[in-house]
Amino acid sequence: MSASKRDELFAKLFSPEGKPSALEGIKVVELSTSNLVGSMVGGLLRELGADVIRVEPPEGDPLHDVSPYGAKLKGLGIPYLIENAGKKVVRLDLEREEDRGELRKLLTSCDVVIDALKPGLLDSMNLGYRSISNENPKVIYVAISPYGHFSKKAEEMSNVPDSDLTAQAYNGYPSLIGNPSIRPIPLRAGIWAAWAMAAICAVTGVLVALYERSKSGKGQFVDIATHEALAAIHIYPIIAGFLFGRPRPQYGFLDYLLYPFGVYKTKDGYITIATPFDTDFRALLKLIKRWDLEPDWKYSIDRVTDDVNRIVELDREIRRELMKYSSEDLIKKSLSRGLMPEALRRLVGRPVIVKSYTLKEALGEKHWYVRRSILRVRVDDKEVLVPNSPFRMSETPGRMPVEKMFTQEVLTKEVLVAMTSTRSEERISDS
Amino acid sequence: MSDYFEYVEKLFKNGEKRDPPLRGIKVLEMTHYIYGPTVGMVLARLGAEVVKVEPIGEGDRFRVGALWMRMFKKANLHYLVLNANKYSITLDARNAKAREILFKLASKVDVFVENLRAGLLDALGLGYAHLSKVNPRIIYVSCSGYGQYGPLSRAPSFDVSAQGIIGLAMKTGWPDVDEFYKLPDYFGDYFPAMVATAAVLAALYYRERTGKGQYIDATQAESLFRFFYDVTYLSLTGEEIGKTGNVDPLAIASGIFTTSDGRFVAIAIMDEEQLSALSKAMNVDLLGSYKGKLRTKECVSELNGLISKWASTKTLEEIMSCAKAYGFPAAPVLTDLDVYKDPWRWERGSTIEFEDRMYGKVHIPNLPIHLSATPPKVKWLGRPVGYHNRLVLKRWLGYTDEEIKKLEEEGVIGYWDQAPGMCPPDAWDIDNDPVFKGERDECE
Repeated sequence: MSASKRDELFAKLFSPEGKPSALEGIKVVELSTSNLVGSMVGGLLRELGADVIRVEPPEGDPLHDVSPYGAKLKGLGIPYLIENAGKKVVRLDLEREEDRGELRKLLTSCDVVIDALKPGLLDSMNLGYRSISNENPKVIYVAISPYGHFSKKAEEMSNVPDSDLTAQAYNGYPSLIGNPSIRPIPLRAGIWAAWAMAAICAVTGVLVALYERSKSGKGQFVDIATHEALAAIHIYPIIAGFLFGRPRPQYGFLDYLLYPFGVYKTKDGYITIATPFDTDFRALLKLIKRWDLEPDWKYSIDRVTDDVNRIVELDREIRRELMKYSSEDLIKKSLSRGLMPEALRRLVGRPVIVKSYTLKEALGEKHWYVRRSILRVRVDDKEVLVPNSPFRMSETPGRMPVEKMFTQEVLTKEVLVAMTSTRSEERISDS
Repeated sequence: MSDYFEYVEKLFKNGEKRDPPLRGIKVLEMTHYIYGPTVGMVLARLGAEVVKVEPIGEGDRFRVGALWMRMFKKANLHYLVLNANKYSITLDARNAKAREILFKLASKVDVFVENLRAGLLDALGLGYAHLSKVNPRIIYVSCSGYGQYGPLSRAPSFDVSAQGIIGLAMKTGWPDVDEFYKLPDYFGDYFPAMVATAAVLAALYYRERTGKGQYIDATQAESLFRFFYDVTYLSLTGEEIGKTGNVDPLAIASGIFTTSDGRFVAIAIMDEEQLSALSKAMNVDLLGSYKGKLRTKECVSELNGLISKWASTKTLEEIMSCAKAYGFPAAPVLTDLDVYKDPWRWERGSTIEFEDRMYGKVHIPNLPIHLSATPPKVKWLGRPVGYHNRLVLKRWLGYTDEEIKKLEEEGVIGYWDQAPGMCPPDAWDIDNDPVFKGERDECE
């Protein structure tokens, strides 16, 4: 099949037009005042079609203001708009008895509760899992907090609010990033890596619990600690400690497993290089005409060691050499090797070289618009770009409801009463 | 309130336990490195029966990808964890008979996972179009850098390549230093893998309600774009945020600061309430003095300067006591070793000691997804190349010993090369291993 024919077929297969969503009919109540990671969890579930009701304080959620350097669109911060588009909002003052009653009705009639508040707070109002699950045994209660809802530390730290940066720190991430010969202090990852990982773990937990509930008819408690998830998913920090009994040194400009594997500067820009195998590395040497380095650095075991100083020697040579070429030139040379049959290519090797784009350059790629990876949204006289849902599913496509970004539905008391009078089993039969 | 944490702990330790959530779900994976195998790993921890197909001899090339090239009992411990609870079989996909077996296996499964080059399995007659015809309930997930269609779909990808192409690799570093650091430890594989896993679970749930399977086009690029708020910021302001060192541009104030006892502490102030909490700890009215200017670049940098000065006069412990007493986000910056030793992780069961039949005692992470009634479990570690050939062919497809022997002789299936990463540990008596011989299952 030709590439264009294949493209056409797949574009059709994955078209979202007129298709259902995976979580249609699932009702989620999100409590995440001033804690964006809770909204990220609710945001992903919403993309899968769940009906998410967000509980906000009457005076408005401080999350409205959270945005890169405070940038706002129609009075709201960027993460708030992206994560909460398409959710319904109910304004409740949890200090008031009456409003707590309303919340209880919501919690006892929903399928999923997202608790991103201070651990134990809902329980202290008799609205935690132990009370809710009594009345609503099918409820899936997902808690997301810095240190979780059980363990001694969880209790001791329960008054410390969450942030991505502190979660990165406690997962040991910044200790790996950066170049100690330039600045010997830990360095933050430039996106919300720890929160993103914790949020997707929470979503995974909710989904598996929903699936299990369709067999057992029962819900359960899902506990996610943002200060725990990243390092456990990455595996390395734990097994490095077990195998070597000492911390890995800060190594941000190199990789612990492969060399080269990172960002490199060229004559006219930046590229990333990955050479997973010895043959790939040797192909790189040929490509930059430095075969003289081959005898000393032939094997991975030569190039990857805990002796940083040794690799720095090689790294300096490679960096100097790459500066002589344009990015395009290097990419073209590496790609020409991709045209060989697979078996032959394995023997002769190929470094995987692609451009390391600035964001502006990246967003210029046509690919994202062909696939609708990035959505264009008109806001007054401006066009704003919003990442689409990453759930590319042929039957139940994930959807980023950009059309609802500025039209938040606020539920009145009357609507709330009507909604909470039906229980989950009446809305969907999932067994 | 006072007994809340105790109550939750009891629920997790001694509460009602039910069958593994994915019991009865069969998964076939043709995967290598990290992205694809992670999907199977999560499903396997949750009780799915996962069969992983590898090439004869060297197997998944990640088998030799050990940290600093150091092997553990002739194996890569990272590989062993990523492929825990899986059945390892080999089939040479270039062989027509092997493809026939693959097809038979694939027509029995609930989920099929692959992260080979886009289009490769289609060419081998194992694409979604082929498999869904004989198995319409199948959930087929292809994991790739940029997707199964579109102009970039044929471009090669590794973790760092995907980070580069979406502009993410230029986000981490110091604004005044001309160096860029990738997100380490293969975040560009692991995070997209978790997104793909969530999609599979959503598809399973949907299938339970409707009987319909589907195809999932999982990509590194789209997963990594999802929480990359700079995209929207750039289109709104025309300005690229780029590298910001230890400053989180979404916070009112933030950084990694050096304490008076020479430790590093991360502090991030996300809202005004937290700023007033920090004000109390620092004994200055930050909120009052900066009200109305908050979140501007100047204000962020001035506040960070003040915090840095304050932190340098306090020990880490003093700062953490303040964070607890007043309520603002702060945490020590741990190293790998701190993370590994942290008694909190052991107490929660996200770091565990596991005794494996073949590899003995190891310390490894469990899934950090704590499910009170259906906890994820490690049952066995990764195995040598082709180790479960006989077991799977017998139990899944009903092959006899003679038929299997014939397949071995014809080279349709095969075993490990005698090399680290692929073979059993030296001391392992493979000839008298009933699981290898297909006589009993790993946990029987």
